[in-house]
Amino acid sequence: MRPYWGLLRMSTRRILTYRLNSLILWIGGATFLAGSLAVWHALLSQGEIGGYDWDQMKAYLLIGWATGAIGSAYGDWWMAGRILEGHVATDLTKPLDYQWARFSEHMGGLATEFIAITIAATAIVTFTGGLVVPGPAQALLFAASFLLVAPLKFAIAYITTMACFWTQNFMGVSWAKDAIVTLFSGALIPLALLPAWLAGPAAVLPFASITATPAALYLGQATGWEALRLLAVQAAWVLVLWWGARLVFRRALRALTVHGG
Amino acid sequence: MSLVEAQGLTKIFRRPEKDPGLRGSLKHLVQRRFKEFRAVDGIDLSIEAGESVAYVGPNGAGKSTTIKLLTGILVPTSGTVRVAGAEPHTDRMVNARNIGVLFGQRTQLWWDLPVRESLALLRDMYDLSPAFYKQRLERLDDVLGLADLLPVVARKLSLGQRMRADLAAALLHQPKIVYLDEPTIGLDISVKDRVRQFLRELRQDGTTLMLTTHDLGDIEDVCERIVIIDEGRKIFDGPLAQMKDRFARVRRMRLQLAEPTPVEKLAERLPDVEVVAGDAPTEVTVTFDRFTHTAGQIIAGVLDVVEVGELHLDEPAIEDVVRKVYAGELLRIPEPGPARDAAERSGERA
Repeated sequence: MRPYWGLLRMSTRRILTYRLNSLILWIGGATFLAGSLAVWHALLSQGEIGGYDWDQMKAYLLIGWATGAIGSAYGDWWMAGRILEGHVATDLTKPLDYQWARFSEHMGGLATEFIAITIAATAIVTFTGGLVVPGPAQALLFAASFLLVAPLKFAIAYITTMACFWTQNFMGVSWAKDAIVTLFSGALIPLALLPAWLAGPAAVLPFASITATPAALYLGQATGWEALRLLAVQAAWVLVLWWGARLVFRRALRALTVHGG
Repeated sequence: MSLVEAQGLTKIFRRPEKDPGLRGSLKHLVQRRFKEFRAVDGIDLSIEAGESVAYVGPNGAGKSTTIKLLTGILVPTSGTVRVAGAEPHTDRMVNARNIGVLFGQRTQLWWDLPVRESLALLRDMYDLSPAFYKQRLERLDDVLGLADLLPVVARKLSLGQRMRADLAAALLHQPKIVYLDEPTIGLDISVKDRVRQFLRELRQDGTTLMLTTHDLGDIEDVCERIVIIDEGRKIFDGPLAQMKDRFARVRRMRLQLAEPTPVEKLAERLPDVEVVAGDAPTEVTVTFDRFTHTAGQIIAGVLDVVEVGELHLDEPAIEDVVRKVYAGELLRIPEPGPARDAAERSGERA
């Protein structure tokens, strides 16, 4: 475990090295969150939409933003860059499991991400007059679910970056992934507001586990067995994608071409 | 069993074949054509523990690909490979503990953090005890002057400093075998010397070395065995001295004559050899095949025509051989001729 903790710490330190870059990232993120809050505040002034009133929507937007923030400091671009620039060759000469190593680096971003999320939550409580707070059972379910978001998002990002072994470029893949994840996770708008033809795929894809599941648990939209079912689905996706990624990686190594030394 | 054992090692890459221009690119979208490219083509290689092997060939000959097959980075298309008993691409993690790798054109240091941090991470990766780690750092400091570099952020290092730090990173865990891919690329002469000195010491410690390089000085200074490959195939594998004997046929004798002499007169006396006038009218250079002529025969021939002031016989350089390989001139392996004998060898330096 020691080398993986080491990687996690190194990753955190690397992110902290570029403080200005991180600051700009979070200022941009905060602007988006503030904008979303303003838009929904205006929309909900007429009454609730799709079962969400203003207080619930505030919590929903914060959770959507927070789950979006998880994994953003480390960034799948960094992971893709190591493949595209051939550093993967050096990584492969180390006695480390490639996937666990990248996961450790990914988790190294959590420290700064949690700081940003805490600041955002505090700001919302301060400036918009409080936040819906769940009961202890729902809070516990939410916490478990929120923790699963990190490995889930990692697995999705990791599999996406594997595409670089075939595409030799990450731009298209990354944009496609971001668009699909934003839409089908519920980060753009709650899944309940999607038309049926979009809600159908959203229900069977893993992305709902990123935002819709933790939000439903926090807001008490899913309780009891339904809450546990959602949590189980989320955990199942983590396992399926984690092991699926291993299969993809094995194939990717066969496609690996490292040019120029 | 040898430390490194490869048999029929082959790696085929698939390269897209596109017609030129935008039209070609568009056509490739609908009608994809690929061409197979054999980067490494049936290489047999065995390296004993403690050997130092230069792996040489022109750009694109398959040197780096071979290294990547031996280190477990690439999966061979066919053939077998074993390094210290492990199959590198299937037992990648086991193999990784036995080897140290330096890619001269890449760094394994964490770009944004001090060198010390990268080395500490490697300590954790290889489970090195604090005592062993300390001892290794001291040893590497002795030969690489590491102490000054430890607190410096990797991206602020000069190329020479970076290479020293990278060498330390590759050797920290005292690997059984070290692969060095272009270890002196881009370095100035003094740093090169230092790196070579270090590699020689490493060899004396019993570490097995395999290095690819375009720098022939690296080979002469560090290696005793040379493997030459071209277009993915091995064209020579043997001791450095043997390579010189077999391939470096051409000798060059530079003569300072007592008086100006037309080259035609000398050429008449010395058929089958090349006589070229030097910068001064009293200077000539005679180039001959040492399998058909001895140095003594050449001197005797010149003395028939004119008195000789001074002469210098150029040592056959591996550079000449490798240059021929690079130029694609060395396709078959010539056998040593009868003219090569001890008398001629002792007359190499006059």
